[in-house]
Amino acid sequence: MAVLKIAFLSSAVLELFAALGVALVAVYVGFSLLGEIRFGAWASGFDLTSGLFVLLLAPAFFEPLRELSAVWHDRAAGEAAIKAIEALSADGLQLPIVSDTSAPQTAAGAIRLENIGFRYSEGSNAAIDTFNLSIRPGEHVALLGASGSGKSTLLALIAGHAACETGGVTLDGQPASPALQAKISWVGQKPHIFAGTVAGNISLGRPGVSMQAVARALDLAKLGRFARSHARRPLGDGGTGVSGGEALRIAIARAACNAEGCIVLADEPTAHLDAETARDITESLLALAKGRTLVVATHDPQLAARMGRTVVLDREIAREAAE
Amino acid sequence: MSTSLSSLKPIVRLFLTARRRGLLLGAALSATTVSAGIALLGLSGWFITATGIAGLSAATIATFDIFMPSAGIRLLALGRTASRYGERLATHDATLSVLAALRERLFRGWAAPGAARELARRPARLLFRLTGDIDALDSLYLRVLVPAGVAIVAAFATSVALGLMDRLFGLAAGSVLLVAGLGIPLFAGRRATKHARRRTHGIEAIRARTIDLVAGQTDLLMAGRLDAQRTAIADADHYAAAADDRLNRIEAGITIGLGFTATALLTGALLAVAALAHGGAVSPPVAVLGILIAFAAVEPFGALRRGAMELGRTLMAARRIAPRLSADDEELHHSAAPLPGFALRLSRVSAGHDTETPVLHNIDLDLQLGERLALVGTSGAGKSTLLSLLAAEMRASQGSVECLDATLLTQRTELFQDSLRGNLLLASPDAPDTALREALAAAGLLQDVAALPRGLDTPLGEGGMGLSGGQSRRLALARLFLRDTPLWLLDEPTEGLDGATARDVIRRLVEKANGRSLVIATHIRREAAIADAIAVMEDGRITEVSRRGETAFEKALNRLRPD
Repeated sequence: MAVLKIAFLSSAVLELFAALGVALVAVYVGFSLLGEIRFGAWASGFDLTSGLFVLLLAPAFFEPLRELSAVWHDRAAGEAAIKAIEALSADGLQLPIVSDTSAPQTAAGAIRLENIGFRYSEGSNAAIDTFNLSIRPGEHVALLGASGSGKSTLLALIAGHAACETGGVTLDGQPASPALQAKISWVGQKPHIFAGTVAGNISLGRPGVSMQAVARALDLAKLGRFARSHARRPLGDGGTGVSGGEALRIAIARAACNAEGCIVLADEPTAHLDAETARDITESLLALAKGRTLVVATHDPQLAARMGRTVVLDREIAREAAE
Repeated sequence: MSTSLSSLKPIVRLFLTARRRGLLLGAALSATTVSAGIALLGLSGWFITATGIAGLSAATIATFDIFMPSAGIRLLALGRTASRYGERLATHDATLSVLAALRERLFRGWAAPGAARELARRPARLLFRLTGDIDALDSLYLRVLVPAGVAIVAAFATSVALGLMDRLFGLAAGSVLLVAGLGIPLFAGRRATKHARRRTHGIEAIRARTIDLVAGQTDLLMAGRLDAQRTAIADADHYAAAADDRLNRIEAGITIGLGFTATALLTGALLAVAALAHGGAVSPPVAVLGILIAFAAVEPFGALRRGAMELGRTLMAARRIAPRLSADDEELHHSAAPLPGFALRLSRVSAGHDTETPVLHNIDLDLQLGERLALVGTSGAGKSTLLSLLAAEMRASQGSVECLDATLLTQRTELFQDSLRGNLLLASPDAPDTALREALAAAGLLQDVAALPRGLDTPLGEGGMGLSGGQSRRLALARLFLRDTPLWLLDEPTEGLDGATARDVIRRLVEKANGRSLVIATHIRREAAIADAIAVMEDGRITEVSRRGETAFEKALNRLRPD
């Protein structure tokens, strides 16, 4: 109520002046016509016609002011919105912009990290410091490390989600480019589920992904039954009611649809899963990575054991593994 | 239109029962304001003309009463200001308090288990609708009912005032005002309904797609669909903007229509009073009064412009909200109490989120008071569904469920953008700080909280941002400790915690659970190891129940993930 009392004061004041404007004009003109007031008009004084004319002008004079006051609040809201939008767009990591539009090369899937370093913001500690790694085409590599050891960051740098501060990532001997990025499939830890059908969630509307490709992907990820049970009940926003294992299978199926993909990056695919589901997911992942380069960030020793090579990212884990 | 207008009835009834006096006072003040405005202009015109004529001869100047009219003018000017201010205060205060009550009632309705699940499935759409609908109702009283009532009163007042000069003149002016002044906004409101609906759908799509863009950024980027998603958002934006453009055109149409009406009325009035004055039926000052009244009478109809544009949205909101109001006071569903000595008894229970595809089949399960049960099975076997059933968040489609009052620790830690205290008070709104600290201490979080400069008042970000995974889980645990129910349902209580933290959390849980019954859905050995019995679930069925000491119990434990 207190807020309202103040908020409406401005319109009340305007109202007062509008009403007083009409009243004063009427009284002034009236008294002039009676001859009681003799100032303010041209030598000849007011006559009835000009008096009425001025009276009709009075409300018209205040009309634009009223309209202005009506939109004045909108203006304040608009300014606040502009500030909020500017604040939103101010910070955040930029996607590396590469303006390379060369035709897609035939890629084999070799990955090379040379002296790369990365930090999330100016002044923070380096998440990765002069790291080197070379992965052959078709090789399956596990990046083993505790949370915070930078293995997810490494995957993100390979995928081109962020630019390295120092050093660089090359794929098949060439710097990363949108054409090469299309060769990378991503299996995230918590894939986003879009509201809609299961098939739509797997094709993601990519041109060139046929219904057959989706069906094959469903098969590979062992999602057939899930898709059938959701045939009439589309998935909700953010995948409510979809279990962790099912979400991961959807991510694998998404990756399987990318026929051109020769590199699969998987970020902690078996974290938060029960043993049996973790085994199933591992099998699906290996089936997906057949003939492709696979890089898995994980702290699951069972998954790491199925890879061709294990790269240990942190000393503590290395010691535990040695014991 | 009449059928859709009838959907307003329950809303209007709600408004009237809640704040009848405030609402009627607001409407009365509003009518006073408008009438005073018309009278002010009319009286001023009369005064000028009368003085003009009186000023022509010295004899009439002396006898002319200037004080009554000028006092009247001042009274109307000040009275109009005061009543406008009062009207604004009364109408907005009443509306805001009615809407606050309505909001609470609707949110309570949505908190019922079935509705809450529906809301969680489509938050972008339903939550937006819920808040948008209440905002739309805001305009029902302020922009539709009050201006319409005031315009009708003004039309009648004008009709009577002009009717005193000539009956036919008053009747004609009144009917033109009513037919055109109400007809144009109603017609426009009807045309605007479709576009208002399209605009709402467009905005819903913008929101949902933007959420997808932000939350699914990585997935979209790696699938090369980031630009496609941006295009989809832009499309939704264009769609909403096109509807907006149509609405603006219609609104401009109303302005033009009312402008024509005003001009036609003024011209008609001018001709009419000229004829009347010529015939000597009215004096020149009264003639001017008539013209000025006709001039001012259209103004109140201008206020209907915005109401007309929002009528469609308001009707849609009323249609969606009305059923929730009539189905009010939907009591939270409680399970029947089991026999003494039991915490829960399920017999031949089937259940599912919809009737067509049950998730649970023919479940038989007993748990004695004070016992701990572990539910194990692969992801998707129905463990979480069984817990929701026990927590009375869903009903069984078949069979009987008897269960004590239970508190569920959900698999996903649900924290809110509020202070630490606010997040804890959810469990027990009246708990004093000492109880909160006790719960935090039991959950092993008190030291961390005490180290924060603002302690319990520390604000958390969206979804509890600012806490680590372990801290979030401990906070959820502290919230559970504040719930003094005989049965606790725990869905993967230590998932995502490192081994040492998890063992500490379990130790505290066991300590605090002292005497309570527990049901723990889990796939980790350390969680199942504290149970007295293990039930194995497969495809929504319980395939095996083993008790501590039996070999099957050890086997079931060994199948779980070691940690």
